[in-house]
Amino acid sequence: MKKLFAAIDVGSYELCMKIFEFGGKAGIREIDCIRHRIDIGNDTFHDHMISRDKMDELCEILKGFRRAMETYRCLDYLAYGTSAFREIENTGAVLDQIERRTGIRISVLSNSEQRFLEYKGAALKSGFEKYIQTGTAFVDIGGGSSQITLFDVGHLVTTVNLHIGTLRIRTKLRDMEPVYSDFETIIGEMVMNELDYFKELYLGDIKVDNIIIIDDYMSAIMETYGKRPEGHITSREYKDTMKALSVKSPYQIAAKLHIPEDNAAMLLPSAILVDRIINMTGAKDLYLPGVSLSDGIAYDYAHRKKYIRPLHDFGDDILSSAANTAAKYGSFDLITSKLTDASLIIFDATKKLHGMGSRERTLLNIASIMRNVGKYVSLSVPAETSYAIIKDSEIMGISHKERIMIATIVASSYPNNISYDFFRSAEFDQKDEIIMTKLTAILRVAVGLAMNTEKTMKDITAHIKDKKLIIKVTSKDRLLLEKGLFSQRTDTFEEVFGVTPVLIALRSDK
Amino acid sequence: MKKNDKNEKPDRQEKATDLRDPKYYFNRELSWMQFDERILEEARDPSLPLFERLKFLSITASNLDEFFMIRIASLKDMKNAGYKKPDISGMTPKMRLNALSEVTHEFVSEQYSTFSRMLLPKLMEEGIRFVKHHEELSEDEKDFVDSYFRENVYPVLTPMAVDSSRPFPLVRNKTLNIGALVRTEENDIEFAMVQVPSVLPRIIELPKRTDGIRSVILLEEIIERNLGGLFLSYNVICAHPFRVMRNADFTIDEDEADDLLIEIEKQLKKRQRGVAIRLECESGIDKRLLTILEEALNVKDNDLYFINGPLDLTFLMKMYGLPGFGHLKEKPYEPRYPKYMEQDVPIFDQIKDHDILLWHPYESFTPVVRFIQEAARDKDTLAIKQTLYRVSGDSPIIKALAQAAENGKQVTVLVELKARFDEENNILWAKMLEKAGCHVIYGLKGLKTHSKITLVVRREEDGLRRYVHLGTGNYNDSTAKQYTDIGFLTCAEPYGEDATAVFNMLSGYSEPAMWNKLSLAPLWLKDRFLYLIGRETEHALNGREARIVAKINSLCDIDIIEALYKASNAGVKIELIIRGICCLRTGIKGVSENITVRSIVGTYLEHARIFWFLNEGKEELYCASADWMPRNLERRVEILFPIETPKLTEDLKHILNIQLSDNTKARLLTDDGKYIRITPGRNEVIGAQKTFMKEAQAAAASMDEKKNERVFVVEEAQTDNDEEVLRI
Repeated sequence: MKKLFAAIDVGSYELCMKIFEFGGKAGIREIDCIRHRIDIGNDTFHDHMISRDKMDELCEILKGFRRAMETYRCLDYLAYGTSAFREIENTGAVLDQIERRTGIRISVLSNSEQRFLEYKGAALKSGFEKYIQTGTAFVDIGGGSSQITLFDVGHLVTTVNLHIGTLRIRTKLRDMEPVYSDFETIIGEMVMNELDYFKELYLGDIKVDNIIIIDDYMSAIMETYGKRPEGHITSREYKDTMKALSVKSPYQIAAKLHIPEDNAAMLLPSAILVDRIINMTGAKDLYLPGVSLSDGIAYDYAHRKKYIRPLHDFGDDILSSAANTAAKYGSFDLITSKLTDASLIIFDATKKLHGMGSRERTLLNIASIMRNVGKYVSLSVPAETSYAIIKDSEIMGISHKERIMIATIVASSYPNNISYDFFRSAEFDQKDEIIMTKLTAILRVAVGLAMNTEKTMKDITAHIKDKKLIIKVTSKDRLLLEKGLFSQRTDTFEEVFGVTPVLIALRSDK
Repeated sequence: MKKNDKNEKPDRQEKATDLRDPKYYFNRELSWMQFDERILEEARDPSLPLFERLKFLSITASNLDEFFMIRIASLKDMKNAGYKKPDISGMTPKMRLNALSEVTHEFVSEQYSTFSRMLLPKLMEEGIRFVKHHEELSEDEKDFVDSYFRENVYPVLTPMAVDSSRPFPLVRNKTLNIGALVRTEENDIEFAMVQVPSVLPRIIELPKRTDGIRSVILLEEIIERNLGGLFLSYNVICAHPFRVMRNADFTIDEDEADDLLIEIEKQLKKRQRGVAIRLECESGIDKRLLTILEEALNVKDNDLYFINGPLDLTFLMKMYGLPGFGHLKEKPYEPRYPKYMEQDVPIFDQIKDHDILLWHPYESFTPVVRFIQEAARDKDTLAIKQTLYRVSGDSPIIKALAQAAENGKQVTVLVELKARFDEENNILWAKMLEKAGCHVIYGLKGLKTHSKITLVVRREEDGLRRYVHLGTGNYNDSTAKQYTDIGFLTCAEPYGEDATAVFNMLSGYSEPAMWNKLSLAPLWLKDRFLYLIGRETEHALNGREARIVAKINSLCDIDIIEALYKASNAGVKIELIIRGICCLRTGIKGVSENITVRSIVGTYLEHARIFWFLNEGKEELYCASADWMPRNLERRVEILFPIETPKLTEDLKHILNIQLSDNTKARLLTDDGKYIRITPGRNEVIGAQKTFMKEAQAAAASMDEKKNERVFVVEEAQTDNDEEVLRI
């Protein structure tokens, strides 16, 4: 019997639940999609809390979702809140109340987690992999902000969050009360203010051929092209439609595209944003896979539960995202590479000792990659500056909490900078504290091995013997400094694991 | 057919002619009355069995009642509100009321001349005596009716006398009453009345006479005869039956009422006290009595109808049901088991195997009931969702839904509380279903849910599968025997997805980003029709053959009619089969030369909506719950669904073709706005309904034959070693 799963997206202006069936040839099959418009964002963006009426309405809708889940006898569900929930001050209390009233437990996604899931949903589509082989801008348009992620040669290059979203633009427009005929110009200017920075700071030399669009309202445009199965249209076709739409009122757009009037009002900001990205990049082709956060939630769940085999390596994307951020701060260099190698070798060699898994390995990997980003700002206090940069950087695929964990690990990896108090914060539970302590211990040892770009190091191996972690390094250079300072960096490791790291440097002529 | 040259400028004609000009449209109410006249024609048709004619006359009476309660009432509201906007035919409410007063008075007189001059003598010829006045009774019969009165009638009567100290009693809508003038002991003349109880049979058969003639008398005559006994201390001066029709067309202000249910219950109570819009009195009524009634009920002369015969002819339907007289009726037809179905195979297996088209009432409605019943019992069924508009008195569907809920299925039922005249009934069912554990929803604010759709969700070995029934008629096993309707059963995924979305929408969730197969009113259905008509127009303008055949119940939407006029001008051949109202005019040069309209009135009420678009040979066929009326396209939830299985599209085309060739029950709308009966002349006589009955019978017989032909083969003993068998 196939398994059924419910993915709930508690968005800023709409609740959406999709029911999926896992298994068989199709892998994932969408069975039902229930959507209910409710403007939670309006409350939380202004007051940072949900009004009582909205709360009642929200709970009623969720109860309806619960009934539908029971109807389908869903095996499991995941419910995620996004930007509207991120704005709430008393998140814990709100989530607890919702769970008590509806039986549905909502988790709040960070922006980067949310974007990563949406991206995962899109990557599920067969067209995705083909597009990203050449320069591609993946544009995920949301209510409060939009994420542009650049891909080239099949890999993620960079990702950036822009402060332009459909709801935000619509709210601003409402305040201005322009006539419909001016909509296009005004929205265009708002969009370009943000896009100019993007072009200057992120786009660089990447030639963008394709634009992949994730948006709740743009599918209507595809409808005018007769539901092309692959969701593909050319920029030319798109621009022709835009020309026709830009002079119409939301009502006229609704009538022309056969969409609800509310959706028509939301469509225009999205459509203009895409139009300006086409102008900026000269992209020739557009791809609207027609997926939403709920698809991403289901895909991620199915992936984790091994119901499906992924078409794309997402772990690689997370690391690419981190590496690109590091590169932006001039710190993606040989040292980083050495540090990453060393920390992962130690991690792998001490698996039995630390008992951590692949997710923690990824966190260590990112911490290694980003350890030196702060040096771009200050060489005297790199721990603090690195911490600040990592904390506020967009790294696709990791949660907000994981990002703070990485920042904390990095800051603690600097000499004399470790304090167990760092790991104690309201955001972390005891399990997190232990993970951070263990990863810091490993990273500090690894840092001791990767101090100099000039020195060659190869064949790093590590193994545990008689309460010692034996690290063997082969180099043609003399590793005097490394050996000299090594003991200063092993104290944490000894404290945490009860094992003493020992560095054995082997000379080689090559 | 006219074909335009490709290079000819199509707009020239349109610019010259304003296709929305009122002169190109009929008034909707007058067209409604024409439909009633066509039914009356059936009652007057001597070629029909006598009791069928009684039935048709009864239908004209109930239709006229409905017409008054809905249309006349609404027009009166408009007039009273000072609303002067003309309709599509250019008539203001006042003009319409004046015209209708004339037409309806004439119609009523025609009804009673049919009854008295044609049908009563015919009944007598057949040995049935209809006692018009109690004075005509024999002594024995008088004894019989008096004793009947004492035993059965008297206990349920509530006589009321009115003097200046008591208010005029409530005269309930559509009830039959006897008004009387009575003299008091003080020699004052007072008004008195008694309602003819609706709980008793209106028609009473008298003891059979020795000459074998069977006699019947109406209840009001028996009461009238015994009136003196009701007002003991009074002297009855005169007594006459009368009947009041009141405004029933109410609109529910949903914004003011949190709970729709409570609001409707309130409206029901209010309806009884609606304004009187028609007063029927016996001809020759005492003038003093009439004046009292007119004043008390506030009725104008135009709304007064003197009836030369028994009031409220709907009793004729009961007369039709009197035992015996089989020879005076059409031979009863028993709906056949559908040709695409087998009785002894589980219904889900059959739908999984092939899409099924049902053609009621020629084919039985039982499979639709079975569809719900099997789902209710089936262990793999997770959910049943259904819309209910009008259901029968003892609905097996309701029972099955309740059973399903008790069996742990998730049952969602949309009960349309706003179904005209069925509100009370529906509230009852809604409460019962809720009690049984069904999730009952009441639809969308301000919109009646008129669509007929059922969704059954099953969890099968290879995944979730959705079974859908879509129909043009209500889920009413009783009317399904009298209305012609199309039903469609499928488990094709696009229909299943859309059906799921329909119920999500009806539960208050947002509409889906796109629909696969269905078009829904009030969202995009009108646009869809305009697109389909427009596409044929384009084909014609491009010099290609173009044709539209539509079978509907009413056509009065101006946008649709205008699109049809444009299509006609472009050269599209348009054949419309419209049972009732049609505001479109045919045969106008430069407007509607290529349009024909025919109407079929037969034993069964034509109710199916079928649409056929030629589309350059890539034909498209659709069925719908909606007519081409603004209320269907703009104020209701309706569904248009395509039928794409080749065998089934051929069936639909066959149905339309047979209806187009009917030359016994069809009338053609002439250029001067009259309906004339089509006669076979030298051609083969074709009656569509009769043909469909024969075809369904033949199909069922052939299925039975096939079953009987089945040869049961004795299974041979199996061996494990195939090679060995081969060697032998």
